[in-house]
Amino acid sequence: MSKFLASLVAATMLVPAAARAEGTIEVLHHWVSQSEVNALNVIRKDLETKGFQWKDSAVGGMSGANAQQALRSRLTSGDPPGAMQFLGWEGPQWAEQGVVRDLNDLASAGGWREALPPQLLTFVTAGDAFIAAPINMHRQNWVWANKKIFDAAGIAVPKTWAELIAAGKKLEEKGVTPVAMGDEPWQIGIIFDALLSDLHGPEFYKKAAIDLDPATLNSPEMVKVFDALREVRGLVDDNFVGRDWAVATGMVINGEAAMQFMGDWAKGEFLAKGLKPNTDFYCFATPAKVPTFQYVIDSFGMFTVKDETVQKAQVALAETIMDPKVQKEFNLIKGSIPARTDVSVDEFDDCAKLGFNERAEAIKAGSMLGAMTHGFAAKPEFAAVFGDVAAQFFVGSMSSEDAVKMLVEGIDNAR
Amino acid sequence: MNAAKSFSSRLAGWLPRIVVAPSLLVVIVTVYLFILWTGVISFTSSKFVPVYDFVGLEQFVRLWATPRWHTAVANLLIFSALFLSLSTGIGLLMAILLDQNIRAEGFLRAVYLYPMALSFIVTGTAWKWIMNPGLGIQKVVNELGWTSFTFDWITDPNMAIYTVVIAGVWQSSGFAMAIFLAGLRGIDNSVIKAAQIEGAGLPLIYRQIIIPMLRPAMLSVIVLLSYIAIKSFDLVLALTNGGPGSATELPSTFMFSATFRRNQMGVGAASAIMMLMTVAAIIVPYLYSELRERNNG
Repeated sequence: MSKFLASLVAATMLVPAAARAEGTIEVLHHWVSQSEVNALNVIRKDLETKGFQWKDSAVGGMSGANAQQALRSRLTSGDPPGAMQFLGWEGPQWAEQGVVRDLNDLASAGGWREALPPQLLTFVTAGDAFIAAPINMHRQNWVWANKKIFDAAGIAVPKTWAELIAAGKKLEEKGVTPVAMGDEPWQIGIIFDALLSDLHGPEFYKKAAIDLDPATLNSPEMVKVFDALREVRGLVDDNFVGRDWAVATGMVINGEAAMQFMGDWAKGEFLAKGLKPNTDFYCFATPAKVPTFQYVIDSFGMFTVKDETVQKAQVALAETIMDPKVQKEFNLIKGSIPARTDVSVDEFDDCAKLGFNERAEAIKAGSMLGAMTHGFAAKPEFAAVFGDVAAQFFVGSMSSEDAVKMLVEGIDNAR
Repeated sequence: MNAAKSFSSRLAGWLPRIVVAPSLLVVIVTVYLFILWTGVISFTSSKFVPVYDFVGLEQFVRLWATPRWHTAVANLLIFSALFLSLSTGIGLLMAILLDQNIRAEGFLRAVYLYPMALSFIVTGTAWKWIMNPGLGIQKVVNELGWTSFTFDWITDPNMAIYTVVIAGVWQSSGFAMAIFLAGLRGIDNSVIKAAQIEGAGLPLIYRQIIIPMLRPAMLSVIVLLSYIAIKSFDLVLALTNGGPGSATELPSTFMFSATFRRNQMGVGAASAIMMLMTVAAIIVPYLYSELRERNNG
């Protein structure tokens, strides 16, 4: 009896004691949908096998703007969470404030710099410091197409925007809505970003969307970008106002519309209906001479905290996130591809494999670019001007020349 | 005994102040201190986080050079003018009609008042679908046989702000009606009877006697509705999300996106100060006249 009691006491003490000794880390993020939570659970479980507890602080809504607000108040009151999901410039900007922990030791030991595409480093490093661990990578410039509609109309995967627009007009004559989308500025921005690099090459994109070069912004090439955007508008039905992106994806799935320009988060909608890439639907990059890969990444940054157990947990979390196995499992659920380039994608679907291969080519060709609409090119105050002008142009009847003028003035005003 | 008495009487004198003090403190900190702080920020170059370098009126210049801000200000004027006049007018008309001793008045009153119980988010989402040409009114009328009928304001950047007015008026005129109805019930019947004996017709009685007597109710309606008009942020967010383009942007949505989504905290603060000054321009003369009347009386 006493032996039984002793072992019972030992057992009850051992389990929580092990967890308590290693510590708990609070993670602030804005992932609340089912697939996002399931993907996060991969990280959480791996962290638990190392003996650390994950304390979930999910603040959903407003594409992360609410989580940012929560973070600001936490930092001001001197109680930052252990880790935070960073989008776009958030990481480097917080690092500028001196509140982010430098993970350089881990990065050097783990060879992170070599494992990641070099273009990514802008958003995960600040000077010599390594400030965030990227878990995944989405590609923004995909086209999702209904294969039945394409085949019935005898349309092949377009190789240029001119072919794509011609195909759209052909479909319209057959009574199919060529392009499904909504009027939200970011949905329009996805097309604008793609046109910038697809029509005039990655260098033009870098000069316009990253360097904000006045001559490039005010160039005849920019007028052509707006001309092409006007042609795309002609392929969208008139009921696009207030349409959610997932509803637009549904239109492609149901055969009401032929294609949608959307990041690879749209793939989940097709897969959830049991549809297969290349047999039921097509996925291909927006057409260009050199296919571009416009990336969107999610990364986790750690804040400087005094509590040593939290510091240990931060190291464990960063190592978990950069673990190739975790990146594979996570991205199989999330629908994106691993941020690391050295993870095998054999188990992924055809679209992810295509994205993975095109990313390798894009890294070599210099056409791997940050997606402006999702905050990975110009800083938000400038990216928002591009979004405003593109959206106003798209829904109204502004001329391309006026749009360029408005863009140049808007960027100057925000400088 | 004497000391205790004077203590208790002193306490009685201080008690109201002690009771009011915490709420006063909370108001001072959470309202006036933050107004002051916003004012300070509007004179700095703050972007992502507040910084305290004074750059003068730079952010105000930048604000007024932003076309979206001009749209927002024009929209607020259009929206509040139409929203106030239509809600008041329709509310008054409904109140007068309901006041004719009709049957099932209680039921009808509840029907008209119910929209007020909804959140603007619900109203906005519902009207977004009702006014979508491919889902709502236009589709129904087209399918009934009138194929040339179009109602696509929500897709037209020039007309979209009027869809916000429609949804707002739908929600709030029942509320105006309820207040007017209460006002009408308070009017002495003998005044109306006297007018009828003098040979006045019903329209004349309403125009010359009843509506002027509703002045206090009118004032409450206008004050409450203007406050609803200014905080209509969530209605726009749900109905059009500021779109199409930025056609239905209001100063409040502009302020939110500048401050929290566009790294332009200084511009956001400047726009907040512009809004405050606009409201102050209306409220201060009103308070001044109220206080002067009280001092004279």
